[in-house]
Amino acid sequence: MAAGIRFDPYVVPALDGVAYGLLVFVAAAGLVLCFGVAGILNLAHGTLYAIGGYTAAALLDGGWPSLALALAVGVVAATASGALVAGLLTRVAARSHLTQALLTFGVALAGGSLLVGAFGPDDPPVRVPAALDGSVAVAGHRYAAYRLVFIVVAALLAGLLHLVVRRTRAGMLVRAAVDDAEMVAVLGVSPARIRVGVLAAAGALAGAAGVLGAPIIGPGPDTADAVLLLSLVVVVLGGLGSMTGTLLAALAVGQIQTLGVALAPSAAPFLLFAAMALVLAVRARGLATVRSAT
Amino acid sequence: MSLTTSRHRRARTAALLALVLLAAPACADGEGGAGPGAPVRIGLLASLSGTYQAVGKDIRDGFQLYLSTHDGKLGGREVELVVADEGNGAATAVPAATKLLKQDRVVALTGVVGGGSVAAVSPLLAETKVPFVGSNGRPELKDVSRVWHTSYLSDEPGEAIAQHVRDDVKGSVYAIGPDYQGGWDELRGFTEAFAKAGGKLANPDGKTTFTPFPATTNFTPYFARIKASGADAVYTFYAGSAAVDFVKQYAQSEVKDLPLYAAGFLTEGGVLNAQGEAARDIYSVLNYSPDLDNAENRAFVAAWKAEHDGSPTTYAMASYDAAAVLDRAIAAAGDDVTPDRVNAAIGQLGQIASPRGTWQFSPTTHAPVQKWYLRQVRQDGRALSNTVVGDLATVGG
Repeated sequence: MAAGIRFDPYVVPALDGVAYGLLVFVAAAGLVLCFGVAGILNLAHGTLYAIGGYTAAALLDGGWPSLALALAVGVVAATASGALVAGLLTRVAARSHLTQALLTFGVALAGGSLLVGAFGPDDPPVRVPAALDGSVAVAGHRYAAYRLVFIVVAALLAGLLHLVVRRTRAGMLVRAAVDDAEMVAVLGVSPARIRVGVLAAAGALAGAAGVLGAPIIGPGPDTADAVLLLSLVVVVLGGLGSMTGTLLAALAVGQIQTLGVALAPSAAPFLLFAAMALVLAVRARGLATVRSAT
Repeated sequence: MSLTTSRHRRARTAALLALVLLAAPACADGEGGAGPGAPVRIGLLASLSGTYQAVGKDIRDGFQLYLSTHDGKLGGREVELVVADEGNGAATAVPAATKLLKQDRVVALTGVVGGGSVAAVSPLLAETKVPFVGSNGRPELKDVSRVWHTSYLSDEPGEAIAQHVRDDVKGSVYAIGPDYQGGWDELRGFTEAFAKAGGKLANPDGKTTFTPFPATTNFTPYFARIKASGADAVYTFYAGSAAVDFVKQYAQSEVKDLPLYAAGFLTEGGVLNAQGEAARDIYSVLNYSPDLDNAENRAFVAAWKAEHDGSPTTYAMASYDAAAVLDRAIAAAGDDVTPDRVNAAIGQLGQIASPRGTWQFSPTTHAPVQKWYLRQVRQDGRALSNTVVGDLATVGG
């Protein structure tokens, strides 16, 4: 066993880093859309993920139909919640980010309490479809089957997201709104409608991530905060407005959280934030351009 | 200009109001304590909101269960139980305890989930000279003359199971736990006793691996290290959501076939439901299990199940015992129930019959000298439950 010290022990953490990174990507993509496009700092984003997670815990019963149902219900509930946040934000959308942050933070606190009130203070169990509730052999190691499948599904979601943003009219409008919101308004498309649409789409993404990611980052009283924090780190690392940047940042966060911890466990508490500080220090100009754009 | 005057006026009003509020209870009760016939006022402080609310509610319900099964009386006296919310820790616990001790002037204080809360409240207890019968958190304390615990010290579970793990496992054991005071104590208790018994840790540097708390939600990288270490078994302590993550991921990891030994909190209470099948076969050490076969426990479990879903936890049991301790101490205190007399009476209790089996307070630490049990997660009817499979050491003092 001691012979394979160089590379072998790190196969599973590296693979897990991909699963983790893709989950963080799907969760953070919504936040990037909100902030980059609508210029809204939605601190209730983690709560939208938690809604998806609790839905999964409530509806999953170990069969495939329940997964489809949970995905549908979770996405619809989180989308509606995203639209609700957009509705609450209509009056303060033009104001500073501090106002938005305060309002959405309040929504996050209230939403978190409502979820705990509805589902209880314990972390509810999440039952994945029985066929995936085990482990499979990967290069001589055991790895959770669900996570392996999740990698495929999340990669598909990421590809789909890329296509939507790049190829569809909605995606083009959204990208146009990032570059020049006034010009889009001149084209006859209300920025307010784009804002509602983007927040709802962000909610849908967070809801989908919450349902599919529930077996990985499970629902509980701390879930919303944890997901929000990871998403914010990804937003900072990846820069705004770029899905490719977000994907790379999310994958990096995944590897830092798994491979990084396996390689340097004593540095685990601050690896992620050290990486974030480093990127900020080196890429300060990138952040400055973002500031002026919003 | 007008703003400043109104602020002055408001400040004066507030000061007056504060004076009135402070004076009112002082007039109502000249002194802490209850004369003959008057109800005895007990304060219960527990986390009814926040991260530890599951534990806090068990503590409240355990105490109330004792009251409701004893006609609402302790020591033959009517009891007025004043419940306050500890919240997430010291910041919320201190004002709540201040209210119980200074405004409500309780004869004794019980409950308290967090060790940090106990440490923060202890100066208040020393100041007001009210005895504290804690039912969970127990930090390092210099002066325990008025502090009693019906729970355990954090290093005792590991100490109690070490010899068994040494005898049972052929080879080395990997020790891993959360990086905070509770985790250090729990793992130190195990590793010290395990080394004394001649056991060898599998950790590469011979020291316990501590994971950032509560930041760690993905344990896969640590499992890879355990695998690489060539360990033959794992000993751990986690509680709450970290316990759920650890157990679920362990069951699907490459170390899933290594036997897992743990301090009982890994699979205690609500977390076991969340873990489900993943928790099957885990060995844990705890001072209580709902399937213990004694008369006190049968009565306790039956009464609990009549009011609640599921079986009682060790948290509820410890709080039930805190009520039992106060019951006997108040009876022994005589007609004039004062904090001092209750405290003196607790010191004289001797053996206490309890759902966990008979135990007594250690004269030095004021925590229980009690038997610890080896439990395994097994099928019990429809649900998984912690089933006692053997007795371990009697530890305490």
